[in-house]
Amino acid sequence: MAAGTAPIKRHPARTAPRMRSRGPRPLWYGLFYLCLALIAVVFVAPYVLAFFGALKPASAIYGSSPWTPPASLYTGNFKTILFSDHFLRYLGNTALVTTVLTTGQVGFGVLAAYAFARLQFPGRDALFSVYLATLMVPNVVTLVPLYTIMREVHLTNTYWAIFLPYTLGAPYTIFLMRQYFMSLPADVFAAARVDGASEWRILTRLVIPMGRPIIVTATLIAFVFGWNNFLWPLIVTDSNSQQVLTVSIAALQSAFSEQWNLVLAASLVALVPLLVIFAVFQKQIVRSIQLSGVNR
Amino acid sequence: MSPVDLRGVDGASTLRAARQPRRIPHAMRTRRQARRRARQLAVALPFVLPSLAGVVAFLLIPVVIVAVLSFFHWDFLSPPHWAGFANYTAMSRYYHVFHALEITAYYVLWNIPIQTAIALGLAILLNRNMPGLGLFRVLYVLPYMSTPVAMAVVWSWMFNGQFGLVNHLLALAGMHGPDWLGSTSTALPVVAMVSNWQYAGYNMLFFLAGMQAIPASLYEAASIDGAGAIRRFLKVTLPLLNPTLLFVLVTDVIGSFQIFDTVYVMTQGGPGSATDVINYQIYSTAFRNFDVGTASAMSLVLFAVILLVTLAQFRFFRHRTTYEVS
Repeated sequence: MAAGTAPIKRHPARTAPRMRSRGPRPLWYGLFYLCLALIAVVFVAPYVLAFFGALKPASAIYGSSPWTPPASLYTGNFKTILFSDHFLRYLGNTALVTTVLTTGQVGFGVLAAYAFARLQFPGRDALFSVYLATLMVPNVVTLVPLYTIMREVHLTNTYWAIFLPYTLGAPYTIFLMRQYFMSLPADVFAAARVDGASEWRILTRLVIPMGRPIIVTATLIAFVFGWNNFLWPLIVTDSNSQQVLTVSIAALQSAFSEQWNLVLAASLVALVPLLVIFAVFQKQIVRSIQLSGVNR
Repeated sequence: MSPVDLRGVDGASTLRAARQPRRIPHAMRTRRQARRRARQLAVALPFVLPSLAGVVAFLLIPVVIVAVLSFFHWDFLSPPHWAGFANYTAMSRYYHVFHALEITAYYVLWNIPIQTAIALGLAILLNRNMPGLGLFRVLYVLPYMSTPVAMAVVWSWMFNGQFGLVNHLLALAGMHGPDWLGSTSTALPVVAMVSNWQYAGYNMLFFLAGMQAIPASLYEAASIDGAGAIRRFLKVTLPLLNPTLLFVLVTDVIGSFQIFDTVYVMTQGGPGSATDVINYQIYSTAFRNFDVGTASAMSLVLFAVILLVTLAQFRFFRHRTTYEVS
């Protein structure tokens, strides 16, 4: 707080006692960090405990101290889960659906955001306010009609049904990206147009590199949405072959409600990929979440 | 803003216009304008068309369909029959939609205030210049990256009446814990707590960003005027966080009203109807009882409730002073 020194000098009488009490206070620092660490335990503990539970045989999980670390790494639960039924297939289904959904939503979203931010065309602003208005429509309102549409076009129980409604772009991320693209310096685009660059070239050579942070944000939002999506896949698929991970975990939980060791292992199969992504990209993820809060 | 509308004017066409003789026949001018607009559309259309198709097919048309369906009796199979307002009356008479809305409101109250207060508290703790705080920030955000269905399983295990960790720990302290998810008084708060755990750190990030945008000079000025830490928070931080608070509350409340995943996994709406939130009821009405018309009517009621609550929040925050800090 270098800037704070100037006014303080002007009021020596008032601030001097405060300054003295602000010396290094190791006890206070210790308590502060202890407090932060205890809070961190609350946020991390469920993961750790779930791992402990999933790495124990059934007999140990029903013992008197289920929170202790496993005595030996028992992988039987994961083996049972992964090689039983079609669990690996469900994992693959989720990966496939999430990849297509994310690619489409971000790709088509970038196109739309660029047009709304940087192109002139009749009806642009009216059209954009229609997009904004759809932000007010809660997901659940469209569930019944979307299912009806999918039935009419015979797409229920297909991968298409699971990802199609979210793959052509999402108004929320289009809005975020448009705001960001509008904040990019205008003269760069003017220069590119003078040089005769096509809109496509401007998009791929200028907007996408310059808009990287917000595109990462949109990708993250789409990926987490696709990976976690539950209600829509639950409704639109009822066969085994297209089932996604979340639906199968919920089904396992009601089928083996008292075999916690197995159900925990199944849950961790869904959680671990997100944990890995978070560990690798944590800096970008934190920044990208904050980016979705500003520019609104 | 310049008083002259310069939209759509580029260098080339201005030059061309200057070289033209003064009076261009009106018809020719409009034709040229139409041609320019057509050219603009031809450029823009490929960019907009995919997302426009998505918005129309999967957002706008469904809203129309849900409104139409709410006036029909339909079970997905036999041909639909005109129902008039029967679905709207059935909704409260047979499905206790107001009870479900009440439970949803309780859920929102167990979720939003606690979650927002924790997020604000965490942001205050971390909004300072000390080593190692970045690590804690990351750890607090971690739960955001979890699948609600999977995490609901983990929390169900921890709050299990017989084998759950929570009751084991309580037993160590000599207390007898309840059957958390099996009791009507504790089930709803426990389900709400899962969301609080998942999104508190996520919201903290928005508050942190908001706090860091507040210029330090304001705090210094307040200190010089003799304001203590609490007064500085109430009189400087909180008013300047109004826009962040509005954003966080509006998005969280909309999500909270639509809670489904954790309820489905942890309680299935039970015990009794203790966690029978509106979204769960819409789901079971449409896809278990196949009463499509009533489920559509319920969706519209929820839509209206969410709209009203959102508008109320905007009004509330508009009447509070917001400050522009450059």
